[in-house]
Amino acid sequence: MIKRAGPHFILILFSASLLLPLLWVLRTSLTNKVSAYRIPPEWTEPIADNYIAIFTDQPFGTFFLNSLIVAVGSTAIALPLATMLAYAFCRFNTGGMPLRLTVLASQMLPPVILVLPLFSIFLTVGLINNHLGLMLAHVTINLPFLAWMLISFFEGDARIVEEAARVEGATRLQAFLFVAVPMAAPGIVAAGLLGLILSWNEFLYALVLSGKATATLPIGLSALETHRGVEIAMLAAATMFSITPVFVLLPFLKRYLIKGLALGAVK
Amino acid sequence: MSALFAPTLAARDRRFGYAMAAPAIVVLAAIILAPVALALATSLFDYTLMNMTFDRFIGFDNFVAALSSSEFANSMVVTTLFVIAVVALEFVIGFVVALMLTTVKRGKNIYYLILLIPLLINPVVVGLIWRMLLHPTLGIVNWLLGGIGVPDIDWLGHPGTAFWTVVLVDIWHQVSFMAVLLTAGLSALPTEPYEAARAEGAGTLQTFWYITLPLMKPVIAVTLLIRLIFAIKTYDLIYIMTRGGPGDATDLISYYIYRSAFARLNLGEAAAMAILLMVIVIVLTLALFRTMRARG
Repeated sequence: MIKRAGPHFILILFSASLLLPLLWVLRTSLTNKVSAYRIPPEWTEPIADNYIAIFTDQPFGTFFLNSLIVAVGSTAIALPLATMLAYAFCRFNTGGMPLRLTVLASQMLPPVILVLPLFSIFLTVGLINNHLGLMLAHVTINLPFLAWMLISFFEGDARIVEEAARVEGATRLQAFLFVAVPMAAPGIVAAGLLGLILSWNEFLYALVLSGKATATLPIGLSALETHRGVEIAMLAAATMFSITPVFVLLPFLKRYLIKGLALGAVK
Repeated sequence: MSALFAPTLAARDRRFGYAMAAPAIVVLAAIILAPVALALATSLFDYTLMNMTFDRFIGFDNFVAALSSSEFANSMVVTTLFVIAVVALEFVIGFVVALMLTTVKRGKNIYYLILLIPLLINPVVVGLIWRMLLHPTLGIVNWLLGGIGVPDIDWLGHPGTAFWTVVLVDIWHQVSFMAVLLTAGLSALPTEPYEAARAEGAGTLQTFWYITLPLMKPVIAVTLLIRLIFAIKTYDLIYIMTRGGPGDATDLISYYIYRSAFARLNLGEAAAMAILLMVIVIVLTLALFRTMRARG
C-alpha cells in the first residue's frame, strides 16, 4: 500500500508546487486593488476589473497586437525556409555535417551575442522600433529551431511514397510539395505553433530593438512592473492574460513538445 | 536505372538539395553569420555608442580589458555557480519525477500535462509572478512560512539569498525540461534487463544503479548538455528579478554583457565578451553534436 502511494505522493506534491503559484496569481488577478495587498489574505468575490483595466488604463491591446504581428510574421518567414532546409538535410544530406553543425550552433547562440550587432545594423538601416526588424531578430531564433525540429518529420515512410511518385513521373519539387509536405503536415503545424510561442515569449531582442510603437507583451509587462511599483492586482491580470494563448495551445503540442525540447535527440 | 545515368541523377539530387537549402542559408548568413562577423569586428575596434565607427583599430585591447576586469571575472564565477546549481538540482529532481512518472499507472496524463505548463510560460512572467509571491511583507510565501514559525525572509534583498532565490525560481521554471526528457528516455528502455534482474532477486536500488543508470547514460548526457547550454543564456529572469544584484551577486554573463553595452555604452568591450561567450557555447555545442551523433 505504502509502496503504491509513494510515487503518487511525490507527484502530487510536485504538481502542486507547479500549479499553486499560478492559481494564487489567478486569484490575485480577480481581487480589487486593496485586498490584493492584504496579508493575511481575505476571500473576496472574484471581479474582472483588472482584466478591463489593462486595456483601458494600459495599452495591453497594443502590446498584444504587436506580439501577435511579430510572432506570426517571424514564424511565417522561418517555417517555409526551415521546412525546405530540413528536407534538404534529410533527403540529400545537403551541406553535410558542417551545415548541420552551423544550424545547431545558431540555435544555441545566446541572444546577447547577436543583439549588439543587430542593434548597430538596424540603427543604420532604420529597422529599430519596427515590426519587420523584430520579426527578423526572432527569425534568428525560429529558423534554426524549426529546421532542426523538422528533420525528424521527414524520416520514415514518406521516402517510399515519394519514390513511388517519382517513378510515376513527378518532379523532385512535386514530390516535396505534394507528398513530403502533406505527410509531414501535423509535425510542420506543431513546429509552427512552437515557433509562435518562442517569438511570443522572447524578451531580450524586443527590449533592445523595439520602441514605444512596437513593444511586445513581455516588454509591456516588465514596464508595468517598474512604473507602477507593486500594483499587483493589475500585474497579476496582465501576466495571466499574456500566458493564456500558450495554455490554449498546450493540449495540441503535448505530443510534439518533446521533439522540440530534445532537439530530436530523444525519441 | 542504368549505371550511365546514376552520376547525373546524383548530381541533380545534390543540386535540388542545394536549391531547397539556399533560401534558409542566405537568411542565416544575413541575420546570424553577418552579425557575428560584425561583433568580431566591433571587438577589435574602439567602438562605443558615442563613437559608432570603425576608425580606431585597437587589436585585442577589448579582450584584455574584459579579461582583466574584476566584474567580468565575478560574472563568470556567478554564471558557473548558477549553471552548476540549476543543472544539478533540476537533474536530480527531474530524474526522481521521471522515475515516479514511469512507475505510476493512474493519473499519468494529468501529471504530465501539469508538468508541461511551466515550460511554455514566458520567463518574464515567471520572474514577475515570483516577485509577487516572494515579496518580503506582501507576499504569500513569507505569510505561509510565518504560519510554521519561519521569520520573514528578504528573498531578493541579500546577496546570498538572492542567488539561491533565482536558482529556486529557475528550478520551478525549468525542472520539467529534465523530467520530460528523462521520462521519454526511461519509457524507451528495453524491458529484458529488468526481468532478468528481478529473476536474480535484485533490489530496487541495485536495479537503478546497475541497469537504469548505465542504459540511460546517452539520454542523460544529451539532456544535461542541452540544459547546460540553455542555462548559460539565462537573462530574462535576472533582468526582472534582480538586475544582477544585490551588488553583483546575480550578475549572470548575459546580463553583464547587456549592461556593458547599453548601460556603460562600451560596445567594443561588450562585443569582446560576447565573442568569448560564443567560443564557450560553440565548444559545448560541439560536445553535444558528438554525443547526439554517437547515439545515431
